[in-house]
Amino acid sequence: MSGTSVVNALAVLLILTSMLVVETRKLQTAAYMYSIQSLVLVAIFLSLAVFMEAEPLYIWSITALITKTFLVPYLILRTLKKVGIQEEGPALETSSSIFLAVGLVALSFVVVEPFHMHAVLKLKVALAVSIAHFLLGLLCILARRNALKQILGYCLMENGSHLTLAIMAYNAPETVEIGILTDAIFAVLIMTIIARRLFKDFGTLDTDKLTLLKG
Amino acid sequence: MPGNQLLLIGLVQALFVLLVAPIFTGLSRTLRAKLHSRKGPDIFQNYRDIFKLIKRQEVVPAQASWVFRLTPSIVMATTLLIAMVIPILTLQSPLGIAGDLIAVVYLLAVVRFFFALAGLDSGSGFGGIGASREMALAVLVEPTIILVLFLVALLAGSTDLGIISQKVAAGEISYYSPAVWLGMASFAVATFIETGKLPFDLAEAEQEIQEGPLTEYSGRSLAVLKWSLYMKQVVVIALFLAVFFPFGSAAVVSTSSLLVSMATFLLKVTGFYVIAALLENSMARLLLFKAPTVTWVAFGIALLSFVFYLANV
Repeated sequence: MSGTSVVNALAVLLILTSMLVVETRKLQTAAYMYSIQSLVLVAIFLSLAVFMEAEPLYIWSITALITKTFLVPYLILRTLKKVGIQEEGPALETSSSIFLAVGLVALSFVVVEPFHMHAVLKLKVALAVSIAHFLLGLLCILARRNALKQILGYCLMENGSHLTLAIMAYNAPETVEIGILTDAIFAVLIMTIIARRLFKDFGTLDTDKLTLLKG
Repeated sequence: MPGNQLLLIGLVQALFVLLVAPIFTGLSRTLRAKLHSRKGPDIFQNYRDIFKLIKRQEVVPAQASWVFRLTPSIVMATTLLIAMVIPILTLQSPLGIAGDLIAVVYLLAVVRFFFALAGLDSGSGFGGIGASREMALAVLVEPTIILVLFLVALLAGSTDLGIISQKVAAGEISYYSPAVWLGMASFAVATFIETGKLPFDLAEAEQEIQEGPLTEYSGRSLAVLKWSLYMKQVVVIALFLAVFFPFGSAAVVSTSSLLVSMATFLLKVTGFYVIAALLENSMARLLLFKAPTVTWVAFGIALLSFVFYLANV
């Protein structure tokens, strides 16, 4: 098995897990799925590090492991404990959102097709997957009504852009990477705090119902 | 290879499936009992049930037409035919060009069609509901099966199940390709649903989907229908195995190699049933109206594998 096929298989697994994050109704399970998916992302970083001989990627993967696999799901789960587990209502039926997701994956493959940069020629699939991933995160934000689920969607987008960065610029210095990761952590932290305040004031996390100002 | 010999293998296959099918359903009953920590029936209970039913008197509803009377024979005959067509023991279809995957999918549809029709024809409201549910579940599962089969056919360059089996066994269609293992995953889910396992169906209870249309049947017809339902489960699993796990099947036809492939087939199906038993007993019954959520995910995965095939991953 060559290096690119390992990366390809892992990239497919990434798409699969992110679809599960979008489709899972139970928020707790979705958070665990996100954790698994970040683990796959770390595995991609590691295999890229081995096959591209990119030293900085080792440190990337360690920081990603700490922040994405443990910290972000922990923050979400902690908020869940505070607000109680809420099942989300169907904003978009499973059938249509699955079709949209597959369509987005196909679209990103079409978009990547004319790319002929030397650096990404071998990893075109992974690049397509990273773009698809970004779009899936967007889908999650648009198609789901629960605020916490939308935070998870943001995290998916973040994972996607992260993978793009790792493929395009795997030799970027570690400081860049650590900066981006901590940024994401603080964003999630602030968003969960806002979600908790929302729940305290409105008694719901359904963004469709948050239409009134309360002072 | 002379055609007669292959035809003989086909007959052996059909007979083999006919004889071992009740054991496997018995196995799944025994496993369920074990997992519930109760004693349960032994593996051969299904044979005793069938022979008891054959001896009983048969009653036919007054409103029922010929469909009701003919369905047991049609369902049994079609299932036997599928068992002859699928490459179970050898790496090629015993009936040559008839081992076409489109033909197999349609034959499975024939079984389902007559089964549901008989449920409606019986005039019992209960049987009618069972029939409509059977069709609803079929509509949800069939697209996945057909899509994955077409994907494999495109990879193999042929719709002949025998050629697909040979190419998978030779490693020409490799598991490393994401399109293949994604397709395999969704096909496994579809097979699981088709065998009537628990979150969707409980294939051994009269108030459930698969046995619902049997409400009005009795005596010999009930025995024949039950037996063909047991066979259908094994046949669907055999289709999955023929496409994705053809290892151990005989490449050259000889008595010893056929015996070896019989043993490996039994092992593989047992493995499937054990995994299925563990899965189904860890889940609660799913409302039929909730089933589309799961089947749509399976179909989405199949569609994804098709996208990956198109993208040459």
